[in-house]
Amino acid sequence: MSKRRADRSAWLRRGFAGLAMLLSCLSAAAQMPRETLDIGDEPGRVSTEEVVIEDGPYARQVVFFRSQEAPGTVVVHTSERFLYLVMPGNRALRYGIGVGRDGFTWSGLVKVSRKAEWPDWTPPPEMIQRQPYLPRFMAGGPGNPMGSRALYLGSTVYRIHGTNQPETIGHAISSGCFRLANGDVIDLFTRVPVGTKVVIRHGPSI
Amino acid sequence: MVDLIRAVSGAIIALALGSGLAAADTLATVKQRGSLICGVSTGLIGFSERAADGKWSGFDVDFCRALAAATLGSPDKVAFVPVSASERFEALSQRRIDVLSRNTTWTLQREAEFGFLFAGINFHDGQGFMVHRDSNITSALEIGDRSTCVQAGTSGEALAADFFRENNVPAKLRVLPDAPSTLAAFARKDCEVMTTDQSGLYAERLKLERPASAVILPDVISKEPLGPVTRADDVRWHMVVKWVNFALIGAEELGVTSQNVREARTSTKPDVRRFVGAEGGLGPRLGLAEDWAAQAVLAVGNYSEIYERNVGTRSRLGIPRGLNQLWSQGGIMYAPPVR
Repeated sequence: MSKRRADRSAWLRRGFAGLAMLLSCLSAAAQMPRETLDIGDEPGRVSTEEVVIEDGPYARQVVFFRSQEAPGTVVVHTSERFLYLVMPGNRALRYGIGVGRDGFTWSGLVKVSRKAEWPDWTPPPEMIQRQPYLPRFMAGGPGNPMGSRALYLGSTVYRIHGTNQPETIGHAISSGCFRLANGDVIDLFTRVPVGTKVVIRHGPSI
Repeated sequence: MVDLIRAVSGAIIALALGSGLAAADTLATVKQRGSLICGVSTGLIGFSERAADGKWSGFDVDFCRALAAATLGSPDKVAFVPVSASERFEALSQRRIDVLSRNTTWTLQREAEFGFLFAGINFHDGQGFMVHRDSNITSALEIGDRSTCVQAGTSGEALAADFFRENNVPAKLRVLPDAPSTLAAFARKDCEVMTTDQSGLYAERLKLERPASAVILPDVISKEPLGPVTRADDVRWHMVVKWVNFALIGAEELGVTSQNVREARTSTKPDVRRFVGAEGGLGPRLGLAEDWAAQAVLAVGNYSEIYERNVGTRSRLGIPRGLNQLWSQGGIMYAPPVR
């Protein structure tokens, strides 16, 4: 099950079925930076809750961060591959993230509508089409691509979640929204209650 | 290459002596020569490094390449002259270099007394603190009565003392003779805190056995604005250097990158079209080609690309953007518009 696929081109070839559903994804593909890590999901690959990014720039750290947003707000910078939890005094707790195709489709303000531990995973139809080897349903657990925790954003399909592929942190990847290493998303989960404001920002486009 | 540098700089000195200050037209000299002569530091991780094959890289080096691309259409038409801290100003005033791109702090004295002009700021450095991760300190105000190591003879000693006094932090300053002994004292936990400029802390941390065992606090307690420097007697050239710096920052703000700068010519956004020279005719007003800014970005990328590659997330240093983030993203990096 650890088969990696160059799924993006295959998906583009299959093209335009279910156009309405795919529309947001298509615009995302157009905007996505070129260094996209073309790595399929690997259900069944195990990553435990202890996995955190320990070293280097994507390690969780307090940084200088000035923001008009109130302390406690989550700011996601997709082009930087960082998620900031705003703290008082011009600083923020910064986490390295991986940004999936769906993470580039929407920007603005949402709220955390629900939180879940070891969430179940029901890949949406467009994902099944891209990666037909995916299961139709997978119960939560260490082998689940959703990872150890999920923060659901408003009534959208977007979510901040863990991953069983921690090496994808810092990259644009082919699926999902905003992923953190399991240990890091657990840390974020404990700090962020339901109702927290989440601001999603992309870099400018020409 | 060294011979070329010698010959070229010799020619410039002769030219300067012969023609005097009134004739200073560095842009014309650079164009005529077909290469830019850029003063960089003799070796500073992330900012200016020379590989075994003689190739230069770094944040300060990339600015020179951008300037060469904007003025001469190629990032390779540049000769690098390493200058030490003590000789850098003489090298500039004696015209051995066209521009100084070497982590140099912008101060009043350096402009008014030495006859230079700073062409803007491309890196906001400043004094910071490094602590051991297991101390769980997250702010300089939490240092308390822990001992803090600082290198003798640096401005950091007085600045740290002032900061601690003003904020009623009872920290004990321990002064060590040089940089290696300061780091060694920190490494064996003789002192729980170490202080110097932020960029220096990130570079020193790499030398620890386990860099992740130390944390650099986000606090910045002093101003060390770094930027490229020109002679004050040539405002036309100064303007070119200044606007190349602005253009790199502006490109990030517009979303123009080394990857998309060619496509940017067909953008429908007026700001982007002016920037890449598709309209507006701005380049010639600086004495440059229409696509001067596009050439600079094509060569080394926009500010963000330069930063991340050399000192940020894609480098060994991994310095967070902090104050060097764009003004619109919480930092203070700001450039007037190219229009």
